[in-house]
Amino acid sequence: MSRLQLPPPSPGRRQLLKLGLGAGAASLLPLSSVFANTISTRARIVILGSGAAGLSMANRLSRRLSGATITVVEPSDLHNYQPGWTLVASGVWEAERTLKPNAQFLPTGVDWVKGQAAGINADLRRITLADSSTLEYDVLVVATGLQLNYQLIDGMSPKLVGRNGIGCVYASLDAAGRTRKAIDTWLAQGGGQGIFTSPQTAIKCAGAPIKMTFTTLSRIKAESTRERFDLDYFTGGGGMFSQPWINDFLKQRFDQENITRHHLQHLTAIDAGAKKAEFTSPNGDTEVRDYDFIHVVPPMSAPDFVKDSDLIAQEGAFKGEWLDTDIHTLQHNRYPEVFGIGDVIGAPINKTAASVKAQAPVVEANIVAYLQEKPLNARHNGYTSCPLITDIGKAMLVEFGYDNNMEFLPSFSFIDPKEESWSAWVLKDYLLQPAYYAMLEGRV
Amino acid sequence: MSFSLAGIFAVLSHAIQPFVALILIILAVLIAVQLVARLRSYRTKAHHCKPAMIVALLAGLSAVWWLPMLTHSQLGFVTSIVDWLALIAAALGVALLVWLVLHPLSYLVRGPR
Ligand SMILES: Cc1cc2nc3c(=O)[nH]c(=O)nc-3n(C[C@H](O)[C@H](O)[C@H](O)COP(=O)(O)OP(=O)(O)OC[C@H]3O[C@@H](n4cnc5c(N)ncnc54)[C@H](O)[C@@H]3O)c2cc1C
Repeated sequence: MSRLQLPPPSPGRRQLLKLGLGAGAASLLPLSSVFANTISTRARIVILGSGAAGLSMANRLSRRLSGATITVVEPSDLHNYQPGWTLVASGVWEAERTLKPNAQFLPTGVDWVKGQAAGINADLRRITLADSSTLEYDVLVVATGLQLNYQLIDGMSPKLVGRNGIGCVYASLDAAGRTRKAIDTWLAQGGGQGIFTSPQTAIKCAGAPIKMTFTTLSRIKAESTRERFDLDYFTGGGGMFSQPWINDFLKQRFDQENITRHHLQHLTAIDAGAKKAEFTSPNGDTEVRDYDFIHVVPPMSAPDFVKDSDLIAQEGAFKGEWLDTDIHTLQHNRYPEVFGIGDVIGAPINKTAASVKAQAPVVEANIVAYLQEKPLNARHNGYTSCPLITDIGKAMLVEFGYDNNMEFLPSFSFIDPKEESWSAWVLKDYLLQPAYYAMLEGRV
Repeated sequence: MSFSLAGIFAVLSHAIQPFVALILIILAVLIAVQLVARLRSYRTKAHHCKPAMIVALLAGLSAVWWLPMLTHSQLGFVTSIVDWLALIAAALGVALLVWLVLHPLSYLVRGPR
């Protein structure tokens, strides 16, 4: 079902857009050269979501396009700095440090529809909101992030986080705080079984389940009670991490630290009252384990309303689960006026704020090229980054991309991605959040 | 991933925000002491004060221990060359700052020497 085979919703609109383009248009070839020039257009641009990706795009496009109508659809007043949640759950940061009002980052001139998108009709180029009102677009940027599918774990609900020894750093800022309390309670018991999990699906910040394991271990060691705690790590994947060198490093480190690894076993059920967790292998075998503390990481996918739309991948590895985008141009594979950015897209890796930083200038350049009916030359190399905390106080700055077998792509030649260091920790603790806010403003 | 100069300034402008009050207080103390002392004929090279030098050195040395703690870390995790260079640079900064305050202050308190 190709958009190109269908009649456009409003004949002449595309022509009108093209005519509206001013003479200030930039040559799109070198990415760095496109930033300064503004182009004029009457395009109606709708951005779904004002998280890391949505705000970055709103700022970039509002600066780049004059005359365009840019609308951001976002229900929440507050912006969460999610990468800080692992530090909140580990007792390093206070929760308030991760919150800012969305309004602080939304540029003037951009319309903010404070509501939830409930449907996308890609053929009619129309968004339906939860209150049944509609929005039409010429260009759509899907930046809704992803959805946490707790319902796929029998007996699990985000409401359980913080009770019965259950933690989950992903659920929300509040849940990160409750996870911290659940860990505190477990540590105060002075011993017992801890289970850390990672699901069989792609997840945002694939390093977060590992970071939670290491920061909890760090706290146990600080109490000098390591021998009284048993730690197990269950992952639905065959490995620990997508970057091969880091994968080997982590396996070795887990073994050294006596954290038992269980691969290809994902959490399928939890009995909170009895503190029992069920894990299932790909062949259907199940194993039930007792725990005193469990860190639950649910399976993830694109939000339901995206899954129910024509924009979802219809074949291949991302079928039915993630937005169908070209992983290099970030344009939709079937609807050329649709672009995807952030966690929602189907890509081998890339569900990090660091990826958004690399994707945003590509999406900006390619939307401009699309409006000018020029080839889309800007390409995303799959850059992602994980400040992999290996202890409270040290980390590795792991940066890589999906080209060349997940080759390392270090930003700073003087920081070795294979080395644990205090500097990488200081970057995580003090500098990545400012870099994130500068990214939201479209300034990096 | 590379950063432009404007990008670096954008990041730094956010990074210093939580510390603006602290930075302003330190600068105010530094400028006030220097200014008052200089108005009373203090000259850096002409005045000698060993205790100010010793305290500044001790402050710098102790910073090697407390700076990592201030960042929720510990000296034991300062391992790479970059870590050590950064820590030494910061400790030197602390020592210099302490000396720049104490040296003119000793002139004001004890008079010219
Ligand atoms: C615990 C944790 C640790 C992390 N650590 C790191 C890290 O160390 N480094 C790193 O780079 N990244 C990290 N990340 C990942 C990073 O936060 C995400 O990759 C990033 O926020 C993705 O941006 P996004 O805009 O795609 O999604 P989000 O930032 O999640 O934003 C999506 C937005 O869409 C809105 N939305 C959702 N549905 C709708 C709808 N129907 N209608 C309208 N709006 C909607 C939401 O309200 C939200 O504001 C971490 C994430 C978590 C949870």
